[in-house]
Amino acid sequence: MPEITKKEIKHLAELARLEISERDEEKLEHDLGEILNHFNELKEVDTENTKPLTGGTVLINSIRDDDPDPSFAAYSAEVSATKAGKALGGKASDTGKGKDQFPESDAGYLKVPSVFS
Amino acid sequence: MLTLHGLTIKRFHDGLLNKEFSAFEITKEFFDYIQDKDKEIGAYLSLHKDEALSEASKVDVAFAEGENLPALAGVPLAIKDNILIEGLPATAASKMLKNYKAAYDATVISKLKSTQAVFLGKTNMDEFAMGSSTENSAFQKTKNPHDLERVPGGSSGGSAAAVAAHMAIAALGTDTGGSIREPASFCGVVGLKPTYGAVSRYGAIAMASSLDQIGPITKTVEDAAILFDIIRGKDDFDATSADHDYGEKLPDPELRDIKKLTIGLPKEYFIGGLAKEVQDGVSHAINSLKSLGLNFKEISLPHTKYALSAYYIIMPAEVSSNLARYDGIRYSRNVNSKTLSEIYFKNKGQGFGEEVRRRIMLGAYVLSSGYYDAYYAKAQKVRRLIKEDFDNVFNEVDVILGPVTPTPAFKIGEKTKDPLSMYLSDIFTIPVNLAGLPAISIPVRTIPHTPKRASPSGFSPDPKPSLPIGFQLIGRPFHEADILGIGQYYERITT
Repeated sequence: MPEITKKEIKHLAELARLEISERDEEKLEHDLGEILNHFNELKEVDTENTKPLTGGTVLINSIRDDDPDPSFAAYSAEVSATKAGKALGGKASDTGKGKDQFPESDAGYLKVPSVFS
Repeated sequence: MLTLHGLTIKRFHDGLLNKEFSAFEITKEFFDYIQDKDKEIGAYLSLHKDEALSEASKVDVAFAEGENLPALAGVPLAIKDNILIEGLPATAASKMLKNYKAAYDATVISKLKSTQAVFLGKTNMDEFAMGSSTENSAFQKTKNPHDLERVPGGSSGGSAAAVAAHMAIAALGTDTGGSIREPASFCGVVGLKPTYGAVSRYGAIAMASSLDQIGPITKTVEDAAILFDIIRGKDDFDATSADHDYGEKLPDPELRDIKKLTIGLPKEYFIGGLAKEVQDGVSHAINSLKSLGLNFKEISLPHTKYALSAYYIIMPAEVSSNLARYDGIRYSRNVNSKTLSEIYFKNKGQGFGEEVRRRIMLGAYVLSSGYYDAYYAKAQKVRRLIKEDFDNVFNEVDVILGPVTPTPAFKIGEKTKDPLSMYLSDIFTIPVNLAGLPAISIPVRTIPHTPKRASPSGFSPDPKPSLPIGFQLIGRPFHEADILGIGQYYERITT
């Protein structure tokens, strides 16, 4: 039995919201098939009484105080003077830096494509 | 012409204090050299000359005014392009982030800035740190400075090549399955992957969050110790970062402490398939360390052979989740479309390269309904067995020694067609990430080797071209002092 079928590839790409070409499908079918075949060696390992190791850290309940912090770089005097800034105790950050990361914005609003069309 | 070749962090600091040169002069010298040399190597994706020269001048002014200079003041560094420096590009070598500029500093960068380090530029890498050769960069190939027909390793290939070609005194990379140690080994420099949680990951573009760590790539083990000492520490912005007291023994350890350590040689790391040069190189390192008076013991890590499979299930699973954020709405938009769903599909399809798409698909598969238990849950159980192997062995020995990679640097294009063969380059580095341990790659010696043709520049600067070999020291969690200590003494007796 092949490890993965073209139908499954199409379905996975759909789930991952990933556009793939027909040539990609061929290549993925081959590459993933080979890789998944390699994974079969794990069947030899007895894990009957083994608990999964779910992460890299040894820390448990690693939490910090829930205090407001500037989200980007330095506190901004300009932003702190605004109504929202005052609500944060005059310690607001320059959210402009966050906004600048967005591909499109207009008059302080983030532009996204229309959802309903 | 000032000589950049002999500069280490330590040597630069001493030179600055003795007024042999200014930070500005050296920084400028680096840019002049890079302008020429990097045409051949291709280590940098972006250079930031104005910012770097201005920071270097500040160091000179502070020194002239009688301020004490920290160990990293004015030190010109190269930073992997998946680590954020405010205002500078951070592309992760992906078309997806081609026009992205970082809004904040990664914690490691804030720490380096507070010691007045200078950032020359951002270095090339495999796209989103996925690869072992830096050939998966969306922008350019990086060549191994020791043989321009060969890869520098990856994914931190630009950082390792920049240090090896003297285009930076030291660099930062990231290591998820070997991405600091493998390129360090291929390029003949030192690479440290710290304990998981020793260094904050805040501001490092995430690949597989339970495995990623930032670490130094340097010319000497002593420099790796200095740099690690600065970047480590608990950070409120990374909940997995740990508060650990390392004491004061990272750089310049005591020999009597080092001599007490026992080194384990895992039989599973010295198997068939190991290239003869690598085997000889590692034996050579073992003999040198024996002459220091260190004890060796044969050990066994029985689940080693399953690490690769476990890793290539867990890592893509985390990748498929971490990279879902690049949806074409935030960060960048390469393609505009009428409908929202078309924007997702087209931006991901066209923004991500082949290896990234392959891992997203693999991750989606192992997490999908019906396959979760067979793959993902199984891999997590095997991950525990791999970690327990190390826990058991560390009852008998303090440090583990082995190869970094099965072969020296391979040819450009040699493994790009066959992903599985590329993945196999990481068999000795992956178990360390799965177990969250610290490990360092240290260059052994050079093995004679002749490339088929001379470098494109028409002359070969090295009369006896050779390929570097690295050996790896693995330590207990948060015992970087052991591997850095042995490494520093190894360096003293071999150079």
